[in-house]
Amino acid sequence: MTDAALGSMAAAPPASARLIRRGLVITVIGLVGLGLVYYLALVVTPTERWQGLAQKILYVHAPAATTTLVSFLLTGIASVAYLWLKDPRIDAFAESSAEVGLAFGAMMLTTGPIWAKPIWGAWWQWEPRLTLTLLLVLLFIGYRALRSAIDDPEERGRYSAVVGVMALVLVPFVHLSVYLFRTIHPQPVVLKPSEPTLPWEMLRTLLVSWAVFHLPLYIGFVTTRYGLARRAQEEAAS
Amino acid sequence: MNGPPDNGAYMVAAYVVIAVVAVSYAVSLWRRSRRP
Repeated sequence: MTDAALGSMAAAPPASARLIRRGLVITVIGLVGLGLVYYLALVVTPTERWQGLAQKILYVHAPAATTTLVSFLLTGIASVAYLWLKDPRIDAFAESSAEVGLAFGAMMLTTGPIWAKPIWGAWWQWEPRLTLTLLLVLLFIGYRALRSAIDDPEERGRYSAVVGVMALVLVPFVHLSVYLFRTIHPQPVVLKPSEPTLPWEMLRTLLVSWAVFHLPLYIGFVTTRYGLARRAQEEAAS
Repeated sequence: MNGPPDNGAYMVAAYVVIAVVAVSYAVSLWRRSRRP
């Protein structure tokens, strides 16, 4: 190998640094996209007649909720893959997606009650959808606590993967709970077998918001967090 | 005929919460990325 080639290898940043940089760039794009969602929701989209301005909470609450579920679902899939393959990169992804899921879960669990108070007259109802969602978020708070309590990386990965697998059962159950039980939580308006039941101006804002939450925001957050986890693994290995 | 209910403060609160959580988490990731 030539000196020039060796020099360029030495100068190249590690993969984790590149991941972190790309993740931060995508995150900034996501935050700009969130600004667009705010403009569409608050300025362009008309106010619903019966719920008033509180209905506009839907445009951020529903995407935050589905992004939470997707984050935890991907953690569950990664947990199964880790138990099978024992690859530390998969464990790093599971850890990252779980933490990002908790961030979106915080958005979901605060905006939901803020919507419920003027519409239902109560901040919270112990009904199936809300209770199961709270249980799911508490499960992943436990997942984080478990990870921070175990020092050995292999043991930490194995134990936390067992907890993460539970998401594969809970997430579909949370999504289907509005069909399985009597609940006062609104039925899906888009993610359902029949056509969406929203006027086009509202549906457009909701779809843009979904795209922003699921693509640049989730991908930006999880790529950065994955880069940080990989950096920690590289440092532990060196 | 009555107009829509007056509940704009709840909407503002929800949008503030989303912005605070999203920006705070992004800043948290950025600060952790700068740690040597």
